[in-house]
Amino acid sequence: MPGRTRPIDKFAAAAAKCSKEGSQYGKCIMADYNNVYKDKCLTEFLKLKECYLAAYKRQ
Amino acid sequence: MNTFSVRAFIPPLSRRCIPLRATRQYAVQASGAPTLEIFSHQQKWMQKERAATDTEASRRVDYLRDEAASRLCERLMDINRHFPHVLDLGANACNIARMLTLPSEDSPSAGPRSKSVSKITSADSSETLLYRDSDLPFNMEVDIHREVLSTSENLPYEANTFDAVLSSLSLHWINDLPSVLTQVNNILKPDCPFIGVMMGGDSLFELRTSLQLAELDRRGGVSTHTSPLADVRDVGGLLQRAGFNLLTVDVDDIVVDFPDTFSMMKDLQTMGESNAVVAREKAAIQRDVLLAAEGIYRELHGNEDGTLPATFRLIYMIGWKPSPSQAKPLERGSGLFSIKDFLENKKKSDDEGKK
Repeated sequence: MPGRTRPIDKFAAAAAKCSKEGSQYGKCIMADYNNVYKDKCLTEFLKLKECYLAAYKRQ
Repeated sequence: MNTFSVRAFIPPLSRRCIPLRATRQYAVQASGAPTLEIFSHQQKWMQKERAATDTEASRRVDYLRDEAASRLCERLMDINRHFPHVLDLGANACNIARMLTLPSEDSPSAGPRSKSVSKITSADSSETLLYRDSDLPFNMEVDIHREVLSTSENLPYEANTFDAVLSSLSLHWINDLPSVLTQVNNILKPDCPFIGVMMGGDSLFELRTSLQLAELDRRGGVSTHTSPLADVRDVGGLLQRAGFNLLTVDVDDIVVDFPDTFSMMKDLQTMGESNAVVAREKAAIQRDVLLAAEGIYRELHGNEDGTLPATFRLIYMIGWKPSPSQAKPLERGSGLFSIKDFLENKKKSDDEGKK
């Protein structure tokens, strides 16, 4: 539908503003990706999510 | 209360269950073997119909299908023969027919490829996608007939009808591949080729691994987000089981760079290639997982220039319907001289030549 921003576009735009946090989170998973368990990188993810939520609200 | 109804998207029962032309045919594979339903046909049909409704967006993401169809047509042109009647099975938006109207990339001056094809029948289960390009000029350049199939696993054609059967990027949604290939073998005329290309092997392995790692970390488990795909070595066996002769199987990797995972998923959705595995999670993927997968994809697979590569592995297969006139291997023991002696003598004379 023209003129309507799809939720995924808003999501992508907000996520793009947090590349630094995203890369830190990715590095944390990558450090030992053969042994990933639940909440292995919780602190990094929470930072990423915080940044994302802030960016999403600003839109 | 105003509730959203999905009934409008469900195809009429009559069209799904009763083929327009009921033909009896003998094309049964391996009686008694249970057919697993891995992919939901209803879901796939719905995704394709929805995707094709937005014509402009749908045409924008034709790049992959056009490329695969073009390479498939090149393989058809390698066969030095005239094809009076060709079937395009699982035609999507008739990409093969459109590619046939273009000149070959190897010899641009030789005119359109379609001069060796008289008539092409394009069959697909999704009507909207099939007729998406029916008003474009290429339709005038090739004798094209569109046909909507009631189900993509049951081919309503008489035996020995077609001079070639083509299939581009749709076989990977078929549940019972052995049965469909046997039916293809049945509707081909003797000594006629089947040329197909399907997604397989390690297609989209980057997306698969990133989503798995993201789900493991966020939710502590993995669910199905990408289809199981056939491997190269399976394809040879499948073709042989379906009764094809003189098999050729080869693999081609196409790597597409995307700016981020979201545009990649959006493109896949617009192609109508979203997840349609029956055992998939019915709810939408969690945002936490998407956010995590984006970070992991970038670190694990990302290019240096910040783009994300997505690999599509295309498996091309060519098989010929058997016929008495085809070249066959000689009978065992009918050789006139020993190849071992021949090779040893050759080696000896080569060595002497070196000295």
